[in-house]
Amino acid sequence: MAAALRQLIHTLQTRSAAAPGLLQFPVLLAWGGMLLVLLPLLPGLWRVLAPGLTLTAWQALLQHSQFPAALAATLFSATASTLLALGLACWLLLQVYPGRWWERLQRRLPLLLAFPHAAFAIGLGFLFAPSGWLARLFATVTGLDSPPQWVTVQDPYALSLTLVLALKESAFLLWVLTALLNQPALRHQLTLARTLGYGRRQAVLGILLPQLLPRLGWPLLAVFAYGLSVVDMALILGPTTPPTLAVLGSRWFVDPDPTHQAMASALALLLLLVPVVFSLPGRVLLRCGHPDRHNPDGVRRPVGKWPRLQAAYGLLILPGWAALLLLGLWSLAQRWFFPALLPTFGTSGWLQADPAPLLETLRLGSLSVLIALPLALLWLEWGPKRQGWLYFPLILPALPLAAAQYQVLLPLQLDHTLTGVVWSHLAWVLPYMILVLNGAYRAFDARYLLTARALGLSRWRACLRVKWPMLLRPLLAATAVGFAVSVAQYLPTLFAGGGRFETVTTEAVALSAGGNRRTLAIQALLQVLLPLAGFALAAAAGWLSGRRHRGLH
Amino acid sequence: MQVLVARLIMPDRQQYKAASFCCHLLVGNYPDKAGGWLARKCIRSRRTCVLFRGVSGYHLPTRYPPRMPAFAFTIRKTCMQAHIPIRRPACLLAIGLSLLFQSVPAAEWPVIEQQARGQTVYFNAWGGAENINRYIDWAAAQVRERFGVTVEHVKINDAAEVVKRIQTEQEAGRTRNGSVDLIWVNGENFSTLKRQSLLYGPWAETLPNWQYVDTEKPVRQDFSETTDGLEAPWGTAQLTFIADRTRVPKPPVSARALLDFARQHPGRVSYPRPPDFHGTTFLKQLLLSLGTDPLVLREPVRTADFASVTRPLWDYLDQLHPLAWRAGKAFPASSAEMHQKLADGELLLSLSFNPNEGASLVASGQLPETTYSFGFSDGTIGNVHFVAIPFNASAPEAAQVFANFLLSPEAQRRKADITVWGDPSVLAADSLPEADREALNATATGALADPVPTLPEPHASWVDALEQEWLQRYGS
Repeated sequence: MAAALRQLIHTLQTRSAAAPGLLQFPVLLAWGGMLLVLLPLLPGLWRVLAPGLTLTAWQALLQHSQFPAALAATLFSATASTLLALGLACWLLLQVYPGRWWERLQRRLPLLLAFPHAAFAIGLGFLFAPSGWLARLFATVTGLDSPPQWVTVQDPYALSLTLVLALKESAFLLWVLTALLNQPALRHQLTLARTLGYGRRQAVLGILLPQLLPRLGWPLLAVFAYGLSVVDMALILGPTTPPTLAVLGSRWFVDPDPTHQAMASALALLLLLVPVVFSLPGRVLLRCGHPDRHNPDGVRRPVGKWPRLQAAYGLLILPGWAALLLLGLWSLAQRWFFPALLPTFGTSGWLQADPAPLLETLRLGSLSVLIALPLALLWLEWGPKRQGWLYFPLILPALPLAAAQYQVLLPLQLDHTLTGVVWSHLAWVLPYMILVLNGAYRAFDARYLLTARALGLSRWRACLRVKWPMLLRPLLAATAVGFAVSVAQYLPTLFAGGGRFETVTTEAVALSAGGNRRTLAIQALLQVLLPLAGFALAAAAGWLSGRRHRGLH
Repeated sequence: MQVLVARLIMPDRQQYKAASFCCHLLVGNYPDKAGGWLARKCIRSRRTCVLFRGVSGYHLPTRYPPRMPAFAFTIRKTCMQAHIPIRRPACLLAIGLSLLFQSVPAAEWPVIEQQARGQTVYFNAWGGAENINRYIDWAAAQVRERFGVTVEHVKINDAAEVVKRIQTEQEAGRTRNGSVDLIWVNGENFSTLKRQSLLYGPWAETLPNWQYVDTEKPVRQDFSETTDGLEAPWGTAQLTFIADRTRVPKPPVSARALLDFARQHPGRVSYPRPPDFHGTTFLKQLLLSLGTDPLVLREPVRTADFASVTRPLWDYLDQLHPLAWRAGKAFPASSAEMHQKLADGELLLSLSFNPNEGASLVASGQLPETTYSFGFSDGTIGNVHFVAIPFNASAPEAAQVFANFLLSPEAQRRKADITVWGDPSVLAADSLPEADREALNATATGALADPVPTLPEPHASWVDALEQEWLQRYGS
């Protein structure tokens, strides 16, 4: 049996080595896997959007009483949060780059990125709500016995949603900037500018930012699309009458009334078109930072007029810690009524906690990553060089894509099955993993592989024994990122799973609409701890393997 | 004798199940053995007819004597649907013989239980309350132990989503192996399912535990729509208000009193945002309390009259909203969110469908001990909630076994226990043993202490109409 298998593999290898480039077996496997994950989305999208292509659907949508206010709230929150996130990221760059604090920020960024959006929103909700901790502090100081009538969360102008989105997305933009700043050319330019006498801030403003901003085009589009289509954060912090367009759409998609179904399709089409429409002025705006536009006059601005606000990086880190602390306090709260600052502690919540969502999340996450990792490696090695089209699930709003996936799974009778849900997660996990791995993969020194091939290994064996073990750290980081992405998926689990798959995310969002705050805090904490555990595991595995191969990683 | 009857009814002697059916009619206790014997005796081939399961399970009456014309009609109709030639005298003979050997229901149920063994039931039920989820887990464990049926509780937010899913599956042509086996439903969702023929059955009155059900309660009517045996009752519900005695010593007990209360405590009164079902029921309650004729509401809604009938409600809400929480610009998402706000004092009143929910919230530490429940002096809306089986359920037998267990005295007693769930039972009081009857009458802190008169639910079509109008007026 084993001999037959070996014979088969040998035959395949010799045949594929003899075949022309595109027909080689690994190439077919890479393309096949990628197309299996992404191609069925297209007919699904067609089935989802087709009812919305009629005039009556658009008329019904535009005349719906909730549409204008929902549109205004959605556009405001998406645009403002993107601009604020960009502003925050650039401001932080100005304050702390380069230096010790920048290194600190770089080390903390993966943890910030791994903090799921829903748990972050829930934790900050516990802080800012009229019966939240800040209000309790205020009441203790001023002697109120009822919560003040503040409108801090779920306000009608979507301000709280905008601010929290901006905080979270600025971490993502900083991570992208970190990757961009790794190029030595930029560092040389900065050093040159400092040598010529320009201050650090002036150099960063005049030299780095004009070069970085145009490269931020696609990440900003992704941030904007996410802000347009976020459902879990909008349910927790966003306005309620009317809700944002994404929440309205997700409610209409599951409504039995056929008019609502048509309106939902029209809304999905609108959500797909808005990023395209907004990207044009966006590109113009980013091009404004091009060096040709500025006419530097050569004047050296005084250094140190505005002190370095190194603690500005606390603006990024502090909300995360505050959210985590409050989630922990609520999870241990036996009874905690207004205006008590601390609860009566008890572990009954943890002891009675339902482990089923946690186990389900682990199962879905591990399966997604186990399938996505080999596919990503195959794609990076044997796939085409240009792969921008791969990232379209990250740039498009999630609602139409999740609905499209359900429409694809339904005729195949794979909806509500594990296969269906894992497949639906792969559409996001795979592009993210490739995104994370791409930099390290392209930067890998080609001479290693050349040497291995010169010594007689086939390309496949060279990758397996030389290249991929050397890329272990990026691989582990990509695995951790893929796992975190799978944990955070809300709409795909809901649509493709049909309610049968309860993950910590779906539980947390469902409980955030009311219910036991202790259970909510426990599920949100589990939602945070899972990706962190994944990153910790990846770091530990990297360190362990580094002990055996010192100097390799 | 049996052979004669079989040959009379089924002149085409090739249906195995047909022979089995006759034996169920005539023999009783060991249908399979007798059916097998008869099959070996008089059948040559084994062309089975699926619809005969239908005849043997669905259309047969449960009480003695059966309604004869209907019985004959259904047998004849089913045979014709199955393209089996049948002669009218043969039907009458079968009826006569069945009257002599009246054992069909008892004989059928063991068959269903046997088929149910090993099946999995996906029970789509509202998962917004922990005590309900724990009760369903207990029931699932019992059913797995006793009947070998696995029950998965699929937690949903709103039954309308499940209706949509079943509709989508029907449009996609999925007539078998649907994703939903049993759904906790009532009101307009049941009405939609029934209207679009998306339900399996009738089956409810063939359950063995139906004999205990209190038919004085409106168990055959769902929001003025007859159930026709398509759904089995599970429990009763009544709209109840909850308040804290330290903050609200004297509760408002009518709609007018509620408006005055809101005037005294501006920004502390609200209700769940429709189309959440608690919010819609609050609107219906206000409509009834403001003096609308209940008979008008029992009828389906008419567009011509809608504006005039509901004018008092919208005038009332126009006065209430400026005094309400967040000046009526935002509303809590659900009754569970209202409980949270009640606990912190952000709202002074909360509402629930379960008269005993206050007690269970006090017990779990979510509300302070000074919580109490009350209702309007004129009465509050009450209804019965049901469980139904979709037409394409993959495990209808197991779903029936589970529904039967939920109707059993043991399960209903545990459900009515305040420390477990507190949902009142649908069974007749005299069907329960003495000790259980006393347990049902006990009250706990936080529960509804004095009984409140029950008002009947309006027709299901009012739900949609009220929700749409509310969204139009106050949704943005």
